[in-house]
Amino acid sequence: MSAPISIPRVSLSWLLVAQVLVIIPHLAHLPVWIIALWLGCAGWRIQIFRMRARYPNAWAKAGLMLGAAVGVFVSRGSLVGLDAGVVLLIAAFILKMLEMHTRRDALVLIFLGFFAVVTAYLFDDSIQLALFSLLPVTTLLAALIGLQQSGLAMRPWPTARLAAGLLVQALPLMLLLFVFFPRLGPLWSLPAPHSKGVTGLSDSMAPADIAELSRSTALAFRASFEGAVPPRDQLYWRALTLERFDGRRWSQASAAQLPLAPAWEKRGEPLRYSIVMQPSSQRWLFGLDVAETTLDQARQMNDFRLQRQQPVERSLLYQVTSWPQALREPAGTATGLRRALQLPATGDPRSRVWAAELKRRYPQPEELVQALLGHFNREPYGYTLRPPQVGVNSIDDFLFETRNGFCAHYAGAMTFVLRAAGIPARVVAGYQGGEYNPSGNYLQVRQFDAHAWVEYWQAGRGWVSVDPTFQVAPERIEQGLEEALADEQSFLESSPFSPLRYRQLGWLNQLRLSWDSLNYGWQRWVLGYQGAQQLETLQRWFGRIDARWIALSLVGGGGLLLSLLALWLFKPWQRERDLQRRLFQRFEQLLARHAVRRAPGEGARAYAERAMQALPEQAQAIRAFAAAYEAQQYAGGDASVVDLRMHLRALRRALPWRFTTGRRE
Amino acid sequence: MTRLFRSRWNRWLARRIPAAASVRLTQRQIFIIPSQVGAAFALALALMLLAAINYQNSLAYGLTFLLGSVFIVAILHTYRNLAGLELKAGGASAVFVGEQGRFRLRLESTQRAHQAIALGWPPGALQVHDVPAEGVSECELSIATQRRGWLRPGRLRVESRFPLGILLAWSWIDLDQALLVYPRPLAGELPLTAGSDDDQQEQGAHAQGQGTDDFQGLRSYQPGDSKRRMHWKAYSRGQGLLVKDFAALSGRDLCLDFDSLSGDVERRLSLLCHWVLHLSERQQPFALRLPGCQLAQDSGEQHREACLRALALFGSPP
Repeated sequence: MSAPISIPRVSLSWLLVAQVLVIIPHLAHLPVWIIALWLGCAGWRIQIFRMRARYPNAWAKAGLMLGAAVGVFVSRGSLVGLDAGVVLLIAAFILKMLEMHTRRDALVLIFLGFFAVVTAYLFDDSIQLALFSLLPVTTLLAALIGLQQSGLAMRPWPTARLAAGLLVQALPLMLLLFVFFPRLGPLWSLPAPHSKGVTGLSDSMAPADIAELSRSTALAFRASFEGAVPPRDQLYWRALTLERFDGRRWSQASAAQLPLAPAWEKRGEPLRYSIVMQPSSQRWLFGLDVAETTLDQARQMNDFRLQRQQPVERSLLYQVTSWPQALREPAGTATGLRRALQLPATGDPRSRVWAAELKRRYPQPEELVQALLGHFNREPYGYTLRPPQVGVNSIDDFLFETRNGFCAHYAGAMTFVLRAAGIPARVVAGYQGGEYNPSGNYLQVRQFDAHAWVEYWQAGRGWVSVDPTFQVAPERIEQGLEEALADEQSFLESSPFSPLRYRQLGWLNQLRLSWDSLNYGWQRWVLGYQGAQQLETLQRWFGRIDARWIALSLVGGGGLLLSLLALWLFKPWQRERDLQRRLFQRFEQLLARHAVRRAPGEGARAYAERAMQALPEQAQAIRAFAAAYEAQQYAGGDASVVDLRMHLRALRRALPWRFTTGRRE
Repeated sequence: MTRLFRSRWNRWLARRIPAAASVRLTQRQIFIIPSQVGAAFALALALMLLAAINYQNSLAYGLTFLLGSVFIVAILHTYRNLAGLELKAGGASAVFVGEQGRFRLRLESTQRAHQAIALGWPPGALQVHDVPAEGVSECELSIATQRRGWLRPGRLRVESRFPLGILLAWSWIDLDQALLVYPRPLAGELPLTAGSDDDQQEQGAHAQGQGTDDFQGLRSYQPGDSKRRMHWKAYSRGQGLLVKDFAALSGRDLCLDFDSLSGDVERRLSLLCHWVLHLSERQQPFALRLPGCQLAQDSGEQHREACLRALALFGSPP
């Protein structure tokens, strides 16, 4: 085909639009200079199109390419890796647009565009982005159609409509493929996108960190229970334990990474639930008490936390079974207990003295813990997110001077005192509670639900959880952070527009919960539809399945969908209708030769009746044809055109032969 | 091997799509295959699928499947764009060797519009036409002529890549069209035999005379006129190109004789062709004699056509 070299106007326009739409989702993680490059190049390209500028010459192209590569290296520190790769891809997309000359260039650009859309998914996989990305895909397809040499491709809107139509028609087949196409594990490992600025728990904790977290409304995870949701005061979501104390911060012991499975005993009724975790950039997973998960590459570590080999960089779905009444390490290990007794060599002398005194009064660990909890309960301790400043001896200052703080202060102080009294203890970091979403029957746990509590060890009973915060502010545990801070008005004070602050507004709250429920469904059923989840879902729907079954249903379902689409596209019944109309035209011509012409707008029946009066001898044949035509045309009769044709032939035979055609004037 | 394959293919094609003056494209006539662009598209999809697998990204899977489904749905659309199109042979007028032969064609749509239908005879370029819904598009296809005689252009290629260009639907149809190609006119000596009788002596005399006697006057030069009759003196005086006109050509019975010329057959036919045109233009009656074929003295459009036809078909099996 002698294709003209240049790119049609419509295609170019759609490509320019597509470029905007492709780049928008990437804006969040692109360096600023690439936006300047983009605007410059797009402006230049438009000027070329308006014949006001020339294409860049070889030097300019080489300079731009080199400049972009250097820019990527400077801003990303490397030319490989996903972050740098995506910036390079976008830069290529921008520069190719500038030098695009031929249809071939346009095709390369369109395919690059599809790729750029896919890379956007690696950074963000929300519903909004998924829906939004239909726009660049439609415009890229419109640009592809615009490359055709057809009158239709000269007009922008029909091109876009056709592209959208193609996408809509492709949807059923796409859903079939999505459900049945077997998901493979990764073929090789690829650099993962860095989730920047993820708020969440970290492996060391100073009280200020938890205060920081409590200002964030970001979602940590969602959980669906198979049975009823347990009461709120039992929802202690463990993440990790903090065993090292340096006088200021609590942090994870290095030994916690040792792959030693702890000894424990399942007791009581298990709780079954599934969790969809938001990206945390950390390796630990969340679970209630002692938990087991079916997730590959995840295991129970020696402090009973669940940990994965890779950090969670994308939302992650896993099934969990928890035993809240399990007996944890009733015997204990020497090294483990020694870790749980570690204290800094010096500091906080008053606390140590007080601990020794408690130890004297309550020789039994259990009594001592009760006494400590009673102390927090009785004495004027307060729960606040704005704690007063403490000095070098932070535990002393908190316990005896300021007496105001939040969970991290209480957990840290209690662990310190227990250890000083010779009872192995550790701080547990995690989340407490969560908001129940009735429209989706699940719990949503946010960063401000972050919590710290205490576990102490007792021979024979193993590790036991206690929460000193409960003694001070039971409403924090039973109702949540907002109620605990009701007097202080400090709940989410730095984010005045968060919908979470307006939970008392019924419709707004309903809207928020529904939206969250939709997102949760999206995460569970779309994003989490991988490997095991796919197999499980298919088995639940269809019973036992194997590879042959999947292949058959793909082929069979695809064939069925395509036939339906073909029926809809080709409308074979319309062809039948066409034939009927043509036969009626012949009928008209035949009668017109005998001077019975159909008046404009005259119905088939009226016309036939008039003809019957004019040609009484052939009335029967005319009636037969008209009746058959009417039956097929209007009553949806399924008779074929064959008998219509037969009636027409009978009529022709009945009529005297006449040559002059009565053309309509 | 390829020849064997080709002949088999042609025979199969002739059975499947027999020659007819009007062809309606249906699934019997239409073939469909991914184009080069389609192959590139499939490659891009494969890369996207790899990204989806390696990043375990459901949305990437989704987009890959969506575009893959578009690919499959486009098969129906590309096929539909060609299906139902009716091609009807129009006429074709005769041309001289070296001119472009032009075949007229009517593209009719009974239902849908058909976009970007490309027609032609490869390796020549294809022409692209749109056919409106329930409408007609007339087109004229040209083809280079190299030999005199009947020109049968062979099977016409009809193809369409609409809407996405990733698939190619095509057909080879035979509209049973042919056009007559006359020899290329070549100015030169007048192959004259006066009278239609076979008088050898007289023929020789006139052949020598070449009709250059009886100078009649001057007329302006026309392409095809012999250079020998150019009036160079007038040209040097700046009166333009003039040709000496000879009365010898008029008033006497003229017979253009193949045998009075020398040289190879094609050259002789070209010379005869020139004179047929020349004499017809001057409305001078003449006869034409070819080995095995004789046309009596006459003039007029019909005579001209008959002579040219005889020249074009000279030597070809009847």
